[in-house]
Amino acid sequence: MHATIQKPLKEIINALSKDEKVFVVGCGNCAEKCRSGGEEQAREMKARLEKEGVRVVGYAATASGSSLCKLAAAKKLLLEEHKEEVAKADSFLILACGQGIHTVIDATGGAVVHPGCDTIFGGETVSDDFITEYCSLCGECIVEATGGLCPVTICSKGLLNGPCGGAKEGKCEVDKEQDCGWQLIYDRLKELGKLDLFRQYQSPKNYAKRSNPRSLKLEEKRATFKSLAGLRTIGQDR
Amino acid sequence: MSVLKDRLTKSEFVITSEIGPPKGINIEPHLKEAEELKDRVSAINVTDNQSSVMRFGSLATCHLLAKRGIEPVFQVVTRDRNRIALQSDLLSAWGLGVENVLCLTGDHPSLGDHPESKPVYDLDSVQLLQAADSLNQGKDLVGNELDGKPDFFLGAVVTPAADPLEPQIIKMEKKVKAGARFFQTQAVYDAGQFARFMKEVAYLKVPVLAGIVLLKSAGMAKFMNENVAGVNVPQDLIDEMKSVSKEDRPKKSIEIAGRLIKELKPLCQGVHIMPLGWDKYVPQVLDAAGL
Repeated sequence: MHATIQKPLKEIINALSKDEKVFVVGCGNCAEKCRSGGEEQAREMKARLEKEGVRVVGYAATASGSSLCKLAAAKKLLLEEHKEEVAKADSFLILACGQGIHTVIDATGGAVVHPGCDTIFGGETVSDDFITEYCSLCGECIVEATGGLCPVTICSKGLLNGPCGGAKEGKCEVDKEQDCGWQLIYDRLKELGKLDLFRQYQSPKNYAKRSNPRSLKLEEKRATFKSLAGLRTIGQDR
Repeated sequence: MSVLKDRLTKSEFVITSEIGPPKGINIEPHLKEAEELKDRVSAINVTDNQSSVMRFGSLATCHLLAKRGIEPVFQVVTRDRNRIALQSDLLSAWGLGVENVLCLTGDHPSLGDHPESKPVYDLDSVQLLQAADSLNQGKDLVGNELDGKPDFFLGAVVTPAADPLEPQIIKMEKKVKAGARFFQTQAVYDAGQFARFMKEVAYLKVPVLAGIVLLKSAGMAKFMNENVAGVNVPQDLIDEMKSVSKEDRPKKSIEIAGRLIKELKPLCQGVHIMPLGWDKYVPQVLDAAGL
């Protein structure tokens, strides 16, 4: 899940030039679940913009459960299903994550896009009304040593070798409401009888695996991850 | 050779204190403060943008202290620099006359005056110790040979009153394995609790300097109890501070700190006094402690 939250309407409007004709695009997957960009939010955004005098030529969102960040789906939506309205548009306001924004550029062959949302994190949908972050997409999973809980994400400082001195009563120094990530890891490893893992030194992370931009190439039975750490292929001979 | 290292190696009871550089360039008054303590302490720590508030630098201050014959302890936090900058600053520190380094994580930037800055934490405190220890061996963090190597006396911090204590001790053990040769602690106010901590970490066989923060008022004690991690000022000390008039607070504070140091002395290898602006009272605290 790529969690998103809509930008304030004023910020969206300020980014548009006078008489710019806008087409609103939403995503039926993550953005719909975040209530920031499903079909309902795209329709509402059209109405809110029109009320402020913005010229909106149409709106659309991928079907519920279908992602805008799939290029084929974005092309079908914009170049087939909404071809006529899209032809009238000067630009697209995207109610989706940053991947979705770029997918619209690709789908339209380079159209002008405006972000309607901020992409805030990759998260777990704990319930229909709560999404939270357990992974930072770092490219090098180390949770084998931490009972499945990611210190890069749940510790506000991303410390790998244990807690800092800032936790008070199990809460983090940055926010009295936030659990100390290392308290959670310690409790979990203790429960699992694996505190010896905590005693092991963890080397600095390889940030070359977190370089930008990264890619994944998929062949029939092979996958190749590309980052500044090099190419890593997992295939039939794995 | 580091006097701090020499004295701890000889099992002498060691006193260190600290100064916090200013927000601005007026470093002179802070160097004067350090000069006044010079003859009473083995070394003086210089904090590194403490509380995540941007200030005059720790490394430059350490160099200025060293030039005046005052032994500095260079505090280095991992919050603001990546592994390249940290190692480079350590090499520079050696070139500028710094022999003692205290490796810390550092408060989160959100607590300071630039809350929108990017937190670095490329290394944590254990990894920083490992990197510094590696420099001492003549190699950088990735194993490249150095052209000339430093010989830092490496230290770290621990919170004896943390609850639970076990994660702190596990991390302390990792710090020792990574190269820490002395520890300075968060403020200690309860000698009984500290004695239990020292018993738990005796197996690490590493010198511990108990942290002493001068109590300025009952209000400050209550504030620390509520807001500062790992600090627990017992109620009787708060009551004692409350019992005196405002003018008599320094006298009472000196008396409490002196008494506390006397209680802690048999338990550890030294004390680290953090005066937080009350530098002028440190000599009186040491007198009261019989040091």
